[in-house]
Amino acid sequence: MELKKTRKRLQANKRLREIITDFYADGHRAKAEGRPVVWIPPMNGLIELFYAMDIHPVFPENWAPLCAAIGTNRQNFTSAAERGFSGDLCGYFRNNVGYALAGIEEANQPLGGLPKPDFLISFGAGCIPTQKTFQVLCDHFRVPVIRADLPQVAMEEIKEHHIRYGVVQTERIVRFLEEKTGHRLDMNRLRQAVVYTDEACRLWDEIMALRATVPAPFSAAEIGIMFVMVTRHGTKIAVDFLREVLAEVKEKVARGEGVIPHERLRLFWDNIPLWHNMAVFNYFEKWDAVVVAETYSAAWSLRLDPERPMETLVYKSLVSYPLVSCVSLEKRLELIVKAVREYKIDGAILHSNRSCKPISMGQMDIGRVLAEKLGCPSVMFDGDHMDGDRFSFAQFQTRIDAFMEMLLERKNL
Amino acid sequence: MGDSTDLIRRHLEIAQDEQQRGRPVMGTLCSHVPVEILHAFDILPLRLWGQATEIGRADVLLQTYICPPVRHLMALGLSGRYDFLDGLIHTYCCDATCGLFNIWRRNRKLQFSRMVSLPYQATTEAVDYAAAEFRGLVEALAAFTGEPFSEKALTRSIRLYEEARGLLRDLYRLKQEGAPIPYSEIYRQNLLFQLLPIESFIAHCREYRPPAAAAVSIKQIRILLSGSVVADEEILERIEALGGEIVADDTCIGLRLLPGRIAENEDPLRALAAFYLERPPCASRADLPSRRRYLLSTIASAGAEAVIFIHQKFCDPHLSDHPLLKTTLEEQGIPQLQFELEGEGMTGQVQTRLEGFFEMLEGRAWS
Ligand code: SF4
Ligand code: SF4
Repeated sequence: MELKKTRKRLQANKRLREIITDFYADGHRAKAEGRPVVWIPPMNGLIELFYAMDIHPVFPENWAPLCAAIGTNRQNFTSAAERGFSGDLCGYFRNNVGYALAGIEEANQPLGGLPKPDFLISFGAGCIPTQKTFQVLCDHFRVPVIRADLPQVAMEEIKEHHIRYGVVQTERIVRFLEEKTGHRLDMNRLRQAVVYTDEACRLWDEIMALRATVPAPFSAAEIGIMFVMVTRHGTKIAVDFLREVLAEVKEKVARGEGVIPHERLRLFWDNIPLWHNMAVFNYFEKWDAVVVAETYSAAWSLRLDPERPMETLVYKSLVSYPLVSCVSLEKRLELIVKAVREYKIDGAILHSNRSCKPISMGQMDIGRVLAEKLGCPSVMFDGDHMDGDRFSFAQFQTRIDAFMEMLLERKNL
Repeated sequence: MGDSTDLIRRHLEIAQDEQQRGRPVMGTLCSHVPVEILHAFDILPLRLWGQATEIGRADVLLQTYICPPVRHLMALGLSGRYDFLDGLIHTYCCDATCGLFNIWRRNRKLQFSRMVSLPYQATTEAVDYAAAEFRGLVEALAAFTGEPFSEKALTRSIRLYEEARGLLRDLYRLKQEGAPIPYSEIYRQNLLFQLLPIESFIAHCREYRPPAAAAVSIKQIRILLSGSVVADEEILERIEALGGEIVADDTCIGLRLLPGRIAENEDPLRALAAFYLERPPCASRADLPSRRRYLLSTIASAGAEAVIFIHQKFCDPHLSDHPLLKTTLEEQGIPQLQFELEGEGMTGQVQTRLEGFFEMLEGRAWS
């Protein structure tokens, strides 16, 4: 199957496209205006900190899906391979390293490409490929770097000393940024950024909860809306956009309008989408099936406390990666079980993602727990969230077709 | 006692004997686990490591794109081999072992399990934080064993481990000075350090005498071996048979565990924390500049002439570091060879690569 675009049905997608374009344009504006640019991993982002200091954050992990959608990922993979990086490494790593070391110098990049960093933060936190991406970037760009840590701890085991250490590290980052930019962090601005993020998370939860409605108002094909959760936390842009989405989704629910005309099956998706082939989300429509919930969405289901901005941001950073990976396997299982119940799921699609070991490890347990606890069947297929060559549509089709037939039979449909 | 090979073969039996005598046995998955603390509670720490077995048995719980050592271990776990363990302790290192730890503990129903999350630096705050993590482990072990924690006992345990590390350092020193100790013997002693009760290990290691020097027919090239867990003795022996003298290593069961001293006259938990954080960096926990510095300084101090990287397929930490370390070595004019193991240990392909590398090195030596 050739690369296909998803069929998106929310009106808000028009606004989303503008937001995406503007986010990348803003990076270039920042360069032109002399605002510093920093590259950071989104999952440990502390994004609010940067916005509060007028520093433009660039998220390579968000750039990669764009490259996959547009198709420049292949060239980036080749550039990484030419420099000796193994093809078995995560596609985000290969794309971002290939892009930073070669692609960035090329003209005609999608959205004008990424502005180069003025400084970098090398994290001890998150998955190994993210840490290593930043180590390679630090080695390559030769700009000022601060190395900071966050504890790697399961959500259910977070104690006070984890937060305390995270705060100490964040304060180190602040001092570094203050020194480099010559500007002090204004705590009121940080608090305001936290208020925005808190509101964005609240809206996110409300939007996601509406997907429990039968028929579902939108499917995983629209998951691109998470762009604002990744890149625009801490800003009004995210809040305004999510309000628009919420209003639209509410209207659909009030009208009883599903994303497809005759919804028969409701599905759960585990692991990252196939960014190079988002059309697979529409493939399920052949059986009047909709993907109504996914693991990813849980990453932003939290509340923040503007009165304790540092602590609350550290907490957000501490839980975001463990929650979707094998670090918090028990918590993740608990959330999936909850989602399958609440969203009235008929079956789960487990994307065994060759690129991403931490999110894929534990999927056999997920399948078993769903079957044993809830009698919810699941199917696993082999894929890769970045590399289309590691995904066989024919095999996907064979597995999914059989699974969907089985689900329909179970429901006597 | 017995020779090292025999002890390794019998290590589970030995551990189970200890357990019969009332000493709990806990598995460890990473060499950052503070074994001194376990010892202070009279618990036997037992390092688990991947060894060739029916790797496919792991497939019910793990995907095939997880590194072979982790799949090996999972297969061993599923075979029931480690069911006698009283617990499992891990320090967060790479994603694969983190996943293994969590999958293992939910599928093998352990009485005790704990993940210790260490920071990635050794600043004062990082040491405070690591000491808090160690304190958490201490509290959990006290609750599990029903025994109170004793600083005195910890200080005693620390001394024993210091002595053991000293003995291992001596072995490396002797080897670097030219004693004909096969590297595979050093590897076995390193492994036994993590398998035997420490008192028995000290006795065993003290008894070891290097063999009489054999007439050397080919020029020996001093090699530094780098990788994660390199546990294929056949490969180690092959390298030495081809004329490589492995004088230093940078692996998870080796030299990296040995430098440094644990400060006395201080809060022993904090001193222990500082020791673990200041140890030479592994690929999973370090940033690149410190890895680079460590590699070059070890090469210099051991007088190594070439580096052999033995990596595991799908190993993210090492595979992402390698291209940059390779460049560093090239800049220094130090030859290097890298290959990936796919769970089969020595293969014809590995053999050919090694032979080619040594031919090249000998060619360089002649020219
Ligand atoms: S996709 Fe997975 S392995 Fe890759 S950077 Fe993200 S969490 Fe890490
Ligand atoms: S360091 Fe590499 S070889 Fe070792 S367990 Fe982790 S991924 Fe596997």
